[in-house]
Amino acid sequence: MLIKYEFLKILRKKSTIIVMAASLLLTAFLFGLPILQYQTYIQDGVIKGSEGIAYTKDQYQDISVPITDEYVEKTITEYQKLFENPDNVGYDGNEKFLIGNAYWNFVAPREKQLSMIASAYDSPGENSGFNKLPELDLANGAKFYQARNEKVESLLNTPSRELSTQQKEYWSNMSSKVETPLQYGYHEGWEIIMSSFELLMFSLLSACIVIAPVFSGEYQAGTDAVILSGKYGKTKLVTAKIISSMLFGVLAFTLHVIVAFGLPLAAFGADGWNLPLQVAGLTIPYPFTFLQATLINLGVIYLVLLAMIGLTLLLSAKMKSPYLVLVVLVPVLFIPLFLSPNGTTGAYNLTLFLLPYRSVMPEIGKYVSYQIGGLVLDALSMRAILYAVLTAVMLPLARLGFKKHQVA
Amino acid sequence: MQLQLKNLCKQYRTKCAVNHVNASLSPGVYGLLGANGAGKTTLMRMICGVLKPSSGSICLNGKSIEELGERYYSHLGYMPQDFGFYPDFTAREFMLYMAAVKGLDVKTAKQRTEHLLHMVNLQDVANKKVKSYSGGMKQRLGIAQAELNHPSILILDEPTAGLDPKERVRFRNLISDFAKEKIVILSTHIVSDVSYIADYILMMKSGQFLLGEPMETVTDHIKGKVWEILIDNREVGEYSRDFSVVNLHHENNMVRLRIVSDTAPAADAVTVEPSLEDLFLYHFGEDAQSERSDDYVD
Repeated sequence: MLIKYEFLKILRKKSTIIVMAASLLLTAFLFGLPILQYQTYIQDGVIKGSEGIAYTKDQYQDISVPITDEYVEKTITEYQKLFENPDNVGYDGNEKFLIGNAYWNFVAPREKQLSMIASAYDSPGENSGFNKLPELDLANGAKFYQARNEKVESLLNTPSRELSTQQKEYWSNMSSKVETPLQYGYHEGWEIIMSSFELLMFSLLSACIVIAPVFSGEYQAGTDAVILSGKYGKTKLVTAKIISSMLFGVLAFTLHVIVAFGLPLAAFGADGWNLPLQVAGLTIPYPFTFLQATLINLGVIYLVLLAMIGLTLLLSAKMKSPYLVLVVLVPVLFIPLFLSPNGTTGAYNLTLFLLPYRSVMPEIGKYVSYQIGGLVLDALSMRAILYAVLTAVMLPLARLGFKKHQVA
Repeated sequence: MQLQLKNLCKQYRTKCAVNHVNASLSPGVYGLLGANGAGKTTLMRMICGVLKPSSGSICLNGKSIEELGERYYSHLGYMPQDFGFYPDFTAREFMLYMAAVKGLDVKTAKQRTEHLLHMVNLQDVANKKVKSYSGGMKQRLGIAQAELNHPSILILDEPTAGLDPKERVRFRNLISDFAKEKIVILSTHIVSDVSYIADYILMMKSGQFLLGEPMETVTDHIKGKVWEILIDNREVGEYSRDFSVVNLHHENNMVRLRIVSDTAPAADAVTVEPSLEDLFLYHFGEDAQSERSDDYVD
């Protein structure tokens, strides 16, 4: 009963409706932007919006194949052959590239795939694109997966990464679990989702704004005295407030996630959900499909959300006004937005990757790991543990804060 | 049932709001009188367990309220001064919510809600949002929620503040109805509110109990110290400056003054039967005078 009324108290407020409506609109706008801006180039010009999406999808039909060494070799060979005809080749003073029908018939439909293939032969940190493929020596075959593995090893051994032997082993072991040959295919919707996770910070903030008055609103309205002197004012009521806040936060955030993911998936299709992440980033060590990675990162974000609700409730129990709660909360959530990592190791970087803003980003290709004694944890696991612990610590503190509140 | 206040203190940095208060309260209506800042609200908050004493303890039937926890709060009904409501709740929802906070089961909560809304004459507007209520309606809702759990200790902090005379009379009657077999502590600085319904008077000044007496005998201390005198209109200023004037009444070209003073203000002054208001003025002097100018006193 108390949970029902506490939930009603949150829902009934005008500010709840305003904040939720504004936040949903913002989420729809941010996640809808890639749809509105989507355009694909064809020989005769540009096709925009859903027509462009349909055209791109159609182009993928011929290249949605397993990326075997043979396929890679055949594709590179075809590409190199096109370069043998001078009529197909353009030069901008820096590099050579295919032009005319050779470009439109061969490169344009598989531009992303070619980039992915070419990336196997780049050194760590290098991104020369597929224009280096004409020079690639195929005398001993493409050895695509060998090249990928060697690149991963080089990445791990980059001195600036300062990875320990255990960390290198951890990542090598994970990367070796990636199933080959990789199945290629259309995955536009999932790629947009994977690269836009941080936009969910606004949804997270809106949930926290709504629950900021859960305790402090009682102090501000002067209702604290009457509820704290009730039989369950310091016991069951506090639990009800916490549960209803959590419930509201999770439901409100889920609504945002449905809008955020629903728009790109509705526009671009859910195709590619079962494709490996490596088709979007060859050196990604995680042996997950797009759907698995999305769900895992979403799981981490839900833990961040619960911890932020915990922090909001703790601040709310300790502060006299919901505005003061937000004065503390907003910087905690958004200051990391202005901090850039300068690598993936060192206390600064490792801390930065655990802050709420960074924690909603999957950053699955950065090999960020944490070593505690002999235990190595990747960023996703570390975040999951950290935010679960923070939730477990902050909720009892919030509870105690309200219980000990003195009406003055 | 005995509610005991043992050496109760509340210190705020440099100010001692409640200073070594001792009392043993059994069922009855206690009018807690004092000027603003006397420590009434602080004392009531401590009794209600929403403010921790700096020292001393509050016991119900010999057990401290901390030890009793929920068992103590289930005996308690509290109407704080100027307490807020949830503006988006209807009166009925607010009552049902408070019933849940007080641990009433759903059936009892509904019954008590309907009964009390009827008693405070809010049943016709029970489905209207509280934000549309007048001050008087909110006060009535406030006392109704305090009574939800049939409390044996009812604490009412300035329940009539801001009400018009008609509302105050209605409120006094409500409190009388609710007060049976209970310890009721009614704080006010409007003397007439308690003079009709209180069994005992507790007078508080500078955080301490100045006196605690049954209503019938509380004015005995000032017997022979309340005077009436008929004076010329031009002398009013002089008497007001030199004495505590309780009342001033114009009669033709003369003015009848009611004065509280240890000595006769004039040779022709006559003693009259003291009232609670005279007692209040006797103890609070200028504090009371300034409040009389702020508040309606009938």
